[in-house]
Amino acid sequence: MTALLRYQAALLARSHRWLPPLLLYLALMAIGVQTGEPILDSLGFAAAVLLPVTAWLVRVCVTNEPGAARDCAAAAAGPARVHLAALLTALLAATGLAVVGTAFVTAVSDPRGTRHEDLPVWSAAGAGLLAAVTCVLLGAAVGAVCNRPVLRSTAWAVPTTVLGAFVVLFVGGSPARAAVNGLVNGSRTATVTVPLVPLAVAAVLAAAAMSVACALSARQPGGGT
Amino acid sequence: MRLTGVGRRYGIGGSWVLRGVDLDVRPGSLVRIEGANGSGKSTLLRLLAGIDAPTTGRITGRPRTAFVPERFPAALPFTAIGYLTMLGRVHGLSRSAAASAAALWLERFGAAEHARTRLSELSKGSSQKVAVAQGLLADPGLLVLDEAWTGLDQASRAVLDRAVTDRVAAGATVVYVDHDPGRLAGVPDAVFRVDAGRLVAVASAGTAGAADLRDGLPGPRGRSAARPAGPRVSIEAEGPSGAHLPEGLPGDPVHGPLGPVAPDAPAVHRLTVAAAHSDALLRALLAARPAWHIRAVTTTEPAHVEGEPGR
Repeated sequence: MTALLRYQAALLARSHRWLPPLLLYLALMAIGVQTGEPILDSLGFAAAVLLPVTAWLVRVCVTNEPGAARDCAAAAAGPARVHLAALLTALLAATGLAVVGTAFVTAVSDPRGTRHEDLPVWSAAGAGLLAAVTCVLLGAAVGAVCNRPVLRSTAWAVPTTVLGAFVVLFVGGSPARAAVNGLVNGSRTATVTVPLVPLAVAAVLAAAAMSVACALSARQPGGGT
Repeated sequence: MRLTGVGRRYGIGGSWVLRGVDLDVRPGSLVRIEGANGSGKSTLLRLLAGIDAPTTGRITGRPRTAFVPERFPAALPFTAIGYLTMLGRVHGLSRSAAASAAALWLERFGAAEHARTRLSELSKGSSQKVAVAQGLLADPGLLVLDEAWTGLDQASRAVLDRAVTDRVAAGATVVYVDHDPGRLAGVPDAVFRVDAGRLVAVASAGTAGAADLRDGLPGPRGRSAARPAGPRVSIEAEGPSGAHLPEGLPGDPVHGPLGPVAPDAPAVHRLTVAAAHSDALLRALLAARPAWHIRAVTTTEPAHVEGEPGR
C-alpha cells in the first residue's frame, strides 16, 4: 500500500492537476478570511471551503492515471487497492491543506468572539482543525461516489460532484454544516464547540463511500473487448 | 489457477461478453488465446489478470500477476526508470531491487539510453518497451500479454519471446493474445479460441482434437506429440559418461543420443526445441549438476518436423 500511495502521490504532484483546486481554495480563502476578524468565524469559513476543494481533488486523483497504466498497477496490486490509494492520496493532500489553512487562519485572526470576548486560541484552533477534517472527509465521500468507477461519464460526474458538495455543505443534519455552525455560533456566544460527533459521522460516511467506490473499481468496462 | 463458470457482461441486462468459462491453468504453462476482433479476448485477459471481476463464477488461485497492455500511454509524468522503479515497488520489490530490475530490463530491450527520458517524449515503440519491462521486472507468477509485441522492433520482439519462455521455464504461467499467428508458434502448451462468448480449445498442434477444458491444460511435460512448424534450434550437448539428461528441460525438447553409446565415452545428445525455448534450454543444461558441455547450436528449417517427443 505504501508503494501505491507513493506512486499516486507522485502522479498527483507531477501532473500539476492539483493546481486548479488549490487556486479555488486560495481564491475563496482570500475572499472569506480577513486579517483581524473573529477567529471562529474565519475557521468555520476555512473548513467549509475545504469540502468542494477536497471533492475536486478526489476527482483529480481518480482520473489522473491513463487507463492502460491503471491496468498495469491493478494487475499487480488489485484494482480496489489501486483505487483506495488514489482516494487516500486526495484525502491526505486535503488534510495537509486543512492543517496549513487552520494554522494560517489562527495566525491572522483576532482570538476573540464577535462581541470581543477573549477566546482560548489553542482550543479554537483545535476545534477549527477538527471541523476542517470533517469537511475534508465529507468532500472525499462526495468525490468518491460522484466519480469513476461509480459515475464514469464526465458529463454526469462533474455536475454531480459540484451539486453533491454543496448539498452536503448546506443540507440540514449534515455533519459539515453542524461542525461549521458550531464554530460560527460559538463565535457569537464566545464558546468553543469541539465537533467530535460531526467528525465521527463524517468518518463513517467517508469510509462507506470509499468502500463502495473501491468495491466497484473491478467492475468497469475496459479499453477493448 | 482455476476459472469456474466465469461469465462477464457489462451492465444489468447487457449481452454476455463471456459465458460459462471453465479453465484450469497450471503453473509452467504457456497459453495462447485467439479470437476475432471484439470476441471478448481482451475481456478474458482482463479477468485473468484480475483487473476486471467476473459477473458470475469464480477465479481462484491467482499468483502474483503482471499485465502488459497493447498500447502504453505517454501521458504519465515520469521518466522511464522512475516509472518502472515505482511500479517495481507496487509489484512488491524493495527499492533497490526495483531500481536494478528496471535498469536491467530497459537494457535488455535496448532502451537503456532512454532511462532518464520522460515517458511523454518516448516514441511509441520505446514506450511499449517500458510497458513490457513493467510486466517482466518482478518475475510474476502470472504474466498476461495483450498484444504486447505490437509496436516493438524486431530485436525487442525476440527478447520478449525469450523472456516469455524463460518465465514459463521458471514455473510461471503466461497467457497471451497476438494478432500474428506465427508468434511463439509451436511453443504454447494450449491454444484457446474465444467464439461467441465461449472458450473453445483449439487443436494447437494441428492434429490433436479439442481437449475437455475441465480436465485442465496439459502441462509442459504432458503435451501431445504433434508439433507445428516454427523456427527450431538443435543443441548438441555432452555430459559425463553414463549421465542422463536432466528431468523437465524447458521447451520439452526432442532429444536422442548422438552416435553409439559406449560405456566409458561421454554421453552426447542432440536436443531440438522451438527457437524461443533455446536460451532457457541452454541455461538449464549449463546449470545442471553435473553440468553439460554445449558442443554446437544450430537452427533447423522451420518446416522440418522432428519425430518422437522427449520422454
